[in-house]
Amino acid sequence: MSKIQSYIKTFVLWELWQGLSVTLRNFFRPDVTVQYPEDKTPQSARFRGLHALRRYPNGEERCIACKLCEAVCPALAITIESDVADDGTRRTTRYDIDLFKCIYCGFCEEACPVDAIVETRIHEYHMEATGENIMTKDKLLAIGDKFEAMISADKAADAPYR
Amino acid sequence: MRSKRVVYVPNETSAVSLGANEVAEAIADKTDAVIVRNGSRGMCWLEPMVEVVVGAERIAYGPVTPEDVDGLIESDFLNGGKHDLLLGPTEEIPYLKNQDRWTFQRCGLINPLDLAAYLEHGGFSGLTHALESGPRGVLEQVKKSGLRGRGGAGFPTGIKWQTVADAKADQKYVTCNADEGDSGTFSDRMLMEGDPLTLIEGMIIAGFAVGASRGYVYLRSEYPLTRDIFEKALKVARAGGWLGDDIQGSGFDFDIDLHLGAGSYVCGEETAMLESLEGKAGVIRYKPPLPAVEGLFGKPTVVNNVITLASVPNIIAMSGDRYAEHGVDRSKGTLAFQLAGNVRRGGLVEKAFGVSLRNLIEDFGGGTASGRPIRAVQVGGPLGAYVPAAQLDILLDYEKFAEIGAMIGHGGIVVFDDTVDMAAQARFAMEFCAIESCGKCTPCRIGAVRGVEVIDRIIANENREANLDLLDELCDTMIDGSLCAMGGMTPFPVRSAVKYFPEDFMPPAGDNK
Amino acid sequence: MSDTDVTIEVDGVSMPATKGQMLIEVTDKAGIYVPRFCYHSKLSIAANCRMCLVEVEKAPKPLPACATPVADGMKVFTRSANAIAAQKATMEFLLINHPLDCPICDQGGECELQDLAMGFGRDISRYNERKRVVRDKDLGPLVSTDMTRCIHCTRCVRFSQEIEGLQELGTIGRAEDMKISMYIEKSVDHELSGNIIDLCPVGALNNKPYRYSARAWEMLQREAVSPHDCVGTNMYAHVLRGKIKRVVPRENEAINETWIADRDRFSYEGIYSGDRLPAPMLRVDGNWTEVSWEDALAKAAESLKAADGSSVGIVSSPSATLEESHLLSRIAEHLSCSNIDHRTRCRDFTDQQNDPVMPWLGCAIQDIEQADAIAVVGSNLRREAPIIAHRVRKAALNGSAVSMVNSNEYEYHFDVADYEHGAGLVEMLAGIAVAACDTLPDSIAAVCDGVKPSAGQKRIAKSLRKAESGLLLLGNIAARHEAFSAIRALAAAIAEATGATLGSLSEGANSAGAALAGVLPHRGRGGKKRSDTGLDVIQMLDKKLDVTLLCNVEPDADILASANAVKQLADHKFVIALTPFASDDLRECADLLLPVGTFAESAGTYVNCEGRWQSFHGVANPVDEARPGWKVLRVLANLLQVPDSDYQTSEEVRDELKNLLGDIEPDNRYRGDTPIGRPNGADAPDREIDVPIYQVDAVVRRATALQLTPEAQRTRAVAED
Repeated sequence: MSKIQSYIKTFVLWELWQGLSVTLRNFFRPDVTVQYPEDKTPQSARFRGLHALRRYPNGEERCIACKLCEAVCPALAITIESDVADDGTRRTTRYDIDLFKCIYCGFCEEACPVDAIVETRIHEYHMEATGENIMTKDKLLAIGDKFEAMISADKAADAPYR
Repeated sequence: MRSKRVVYVPNETSAVSLGANEVAEAIADKTDAVIVRNGSRGMCWLEPMVEVVVGAERIAYGPVTPEDVDGLIESDFLNGGKHDLLLGPTEEIPYLKNQDRWTFQRCGLINPLDLAAYLEHGGFSGLTHALESGPRGVLEQVKKSGLRGRGGAGFPTGIKWQTVADAKADQKYVTCNADEGDSGTFSDRMLMEGDPLTLIEGMIIAGFAVGASRGYVYLRSEYPLTRDIFEKALKVARAGGWLGDDIQGSGFDFDIDLHLGAGSYVCGEETAMLESLEGKAGVIRYKPPLPAVEGLFGKPTVVNNVITLASVPNIIAMSGDRYAEHGVDRSKGTLAFQLAGNVRRGGLVEKAFGVSLRNLIEDFGGGTASGRPIRAVQVGGPLGAYVPAAQLDILLDYEKFAEIGAMIGHGGIVVFDDTVDMAAQARFAMEFCAIESCGKCTPCRIGAVRGVEVIDRIIANENREANLDLLDELCDTMIDGSLCAMGGMTPFPVRSAVKYFPEDFMPPAGDNK
Repeated sequence: MSDTDVTIEVDGVSMPATKGQMLIEVTDKAGIYVPRFCYHSKLSIAANCRMCLVEVEKAPKPLPACATPVADGMKVFTRSANAIAAQKATMEFLLINHPLDCPICDQGGECELQDLAMGFGRDISRYNERKRVVRDKDLGPLVSTDMTRCIHCTRCVRFSQEIEGLQELGTIGRAEDMKISMYIEKSVDHELSGNIIDLCPVGALNNKPYRYSARAWEMLQREAVSPHDCVGTNMYAHVLRGKIKRVVPRENEAINETWIADRDRFSYEGIYSGDRLPAPMLRVDGNWTEVSWEDALAKAAESLKAADGSSVGIVSSPSATLEESHLLSRIAEHLSCSNIDHRTRCRDFTDQQNDPVMPWLGCAIQDIEQADAIAVVGSNLRREAPIIAHRVRKAALNGSAVSMVNSNEYEYHFDVADYEHGAGLVEMLAGIAVAACDTLPDSIAAVCDGVKPSAGQKRIAKSLRKAESGLLLLGNIAARHEAFSAIRALAAAIAEATGATLGSLSEGANSAGAALAGVLPHRGRGGKKRSDTGLDVIQMLDKKLDVTLLCNVEPDADILASANAVKQLADHKFVIALTPFASDDLRECADLLLPVGTFAESAGTYVNCEGRWQSFHGVANPVDEARPGWKVLRVLANLLQVPDSDYQTSEEVRDELKNLLGDIEPDNRYRGDTPIGRPNGADAPDREIDVPIYQVDAVVRRATALQLTPEAQRTRAVAED
């Protein structure tokens, strides 16, 4: 019996139609492929991308050079030097993150007592020359300044879960 | 010619503050009577109480104001004439008659600076006895008497003296704690103003017993009149050969210096007092070593309260055994209780231990001044627990009080009627400690300030239950951790207020957060 | 078992104790940790933090372990529920007012409060009222303050009272207003005051120069030895990325206990001063040009080779390491040169033949405390050797009669039994010698001729004679004195007559090592007499030598004997200077500058005044092209073809010297018998030859914070007068 069935299936190209039916079904389904870079997938507010150093609304740097991020960094990507600033506060004189070493674990952000170092949602960046992988304090602050709106919105969105 | 009448007008702070000086002046101006300025008899509500010697008796009038003087003269008070202010023979006033006046036997009776009168009334008989019986005899009598420190802690005086006597040193000291800072207490002052020579005698005996040649009296600066009188008394004693080198030809040298405090409550604690005497800030020292071993300037030192030292001459004169016949259990002899606060007849009552609190307040004190029912009584100063009206029948006895978590302390009794807000009183206890703490140890320094805040939160009904628990733990920390009694006992009034008067810590009706 | 021995039980384990001991001493010894803030083993007991509460059986409430004496059969529970509850409660109180600024606090990571808060603190405070805020005090350039963090343990107060003997700090106010403060607005000024930084259990008192520059956890702790005085203070250098960030004490009961002097603590700043010599420099036609190490060393070797041994001079610092000294000595030997000296601050070499093998304290440093009479002669002791001064102070507090003999009077914070001052040192010592000696030895007969001792001098002689262990210490001022020969002979005679031990405090960190290595014109290695006595420092300066080698010497500041050493050296034909710093002096007089490392950048060994050899490794990376001095000298020795000079490590150099020396017993007995003449007008006041505490060597002179202290300002003002 099964032999006859199989014989008939062979002649009517049953498997072929079966396969094509999948094609047909999916043909009418909505697209799932994103046309990057024209289209982008939605991101979590917790996405850990490029780092930034933030400031307070009055322009004062948040970072107080406590070096907890440096201590917690599992990849030893952060290097900080600190000193007394002109106004007597504790400030960094150097804050470097080596993006080649960084594993984007977000521990620095977790460790920071003043929400100074954050990982933004920016993930599209590249380096063209040797040395550009070192994010200096100035570069990090510039990123912070530029994307402050995004950073604070993300922080606010994540706040209820902390 | 008729001899001049003798009129006694007290020269004592409470009488003076009520116009005794003006009364004395008025009587001196208007009559030819001899005015004698005596101490107070301790009946403060009758001050200024004027006494006239008529025959063998002293007839009392009081309270006398300068305006009353003309009326008194009209009534012929110099002969005991009838007047609205007539109180009858002083000794017959029940308040005085029912007391056991031992330590205060001469207080109010004589001019405190009259050495002859002092000797006439049995003064220096204790010292004479002591010099005869030798240091060992004195120590024995003091031990037999069962005398305990009257400053508050109630430590047996004989044992303390024995420790100092046994300590080997080239110099020893006797210090007298007259930094009477407890609220509602005034017995030290009354004694030092009314009978300072007794204290001097007591200190000499103490010095003789332990082998000290130098005494210091640490007096609180708030008592200017006391200072005045006591300094004069020191001069009188020195002039009479009872103080200084070779006292009465016995070969024993002893001299006393008077030092004034600078207004810190905690300097009433013995080690802080010693620090202050040494010229340092009044901060607690840790014990051991006890002051009896290493005290003033690192030398063995007797530290006793005024009343303790003033009780000694009497003990030596009457023998320790007889003294010990009075009182109950381990609380021997008499204590000068001081009635204050909301009480009709405030004043000093010297009574043997074992009298009930109710007896003192109702029979002697005549209930509250406001006429309202008693709600609480605080015994033993600002660190003493509040005793609720229901427990007034408790007998005054160190151990009995300890059982209910209270203390007799210096014998100050402050009465409150039913309008008192016990939450405010609890807050006050903490606030007092927050101001007066010496700041040395953590529990007292920080606990008191935060205690005030926690009580404020309770009163404001914020998180009431949690804050009551917090207050309880805070009290535990202060009791367990504090270096001295200041922080260690501040929680007592607080806890007793919470325990006996929880309703005062409840939010007002309808206010339920 | 004597009657002072008791047995107590702690946490179920019974352990022996001695009557009079406090509980915490017993638990500490047994390694049982009881939390504490105010207790410190070197300070008196205050019992005010209440953190060390423990449960004691039969005690109604928990007792502070630091103030509870042990009693036989006592049962103590340090970890019971009650004890922990009491400790936690105290912790909660302490944290109420403590600010939450750990991230910016330099104490963060090494804070006793932070550590204990981890163990005993709650996550959330139940008290949320405002914290107490306290205005900061200005304690000067060395100690920074954040008084809000203070927990009132009063360790600093007790330190100033008990260790300094100078009440610099105290508490004012009471209750919550109690503050640690100066009584008068002034800085902490004592030479040991920096120790309050280590004592402070929180971040209230901190290291000012170090402020905010590193975190405790990221630095490496490396052992170092102080190069500034003859004590050989043990310390740790805390190093971050090869740079010293701060210096803290390394405990050594035999030497410095737990203290270090401010000079040792803050001198490291000098290492990073702006005038470090970055690379070898050669003067070519009067202009300085940078050269490579190869060229520089070749030039040096060439000049030395070309010169005759007798026209070569070597002047080394008394703080040069033993290895440097040994290599210098070997190079000199190879060049047949005996013009080699390290005594840059001395002036009187007339009696040098009678010098001991090496300068020696005469006893161990900790034995000073046990001396029952001490006479310190010609010394500004607190400035010369603060740690020795502390030991002497402890002796005085123990009841020892401490006398001082100086022509100027210096302040001490204990009762000086007799202070002889006002006259010349020789004159005063002669008085004591006359009082002490029954018959005057020949050597000093002339000096003592006609001298009548004063009452004070007689008392000093008597106290030394009466003492079971008397100690007569000659200080740096005596050694620098123009009449040192007379002073030494007098002191020796006094010591001999009274049975006191004669000791001397030597210059620099390694005078003893230099003497052992043979950096002396009249003595070779191990004190062996040279057949031909070479030139001493003064003679070398006077003679226009062909080649002069300076090792770690800044002529004007370090050579006291000559007022114009720089000018004199400029006349020398070729001057080679091994130096960490390119000072103006050296630029003026030298021809070749070789950058060498400071004490921190070089391995080496110091022999301290008690004869203790202490070796150390380089703790910091050398700045720029600088190289450890012993390596430079080794290469120089190689180039000069000194045999067997291929050392690989500094230990090899040290061990070679050690083997060559064999057993050497230091001995301070004076063997001279030639009469010493009266110094004519040479008995100058001390002040002129006293080197201020913060001017002793090149590194200290460049330490910024130390130079800002009132002490430095004062001495500078005096110097400029």
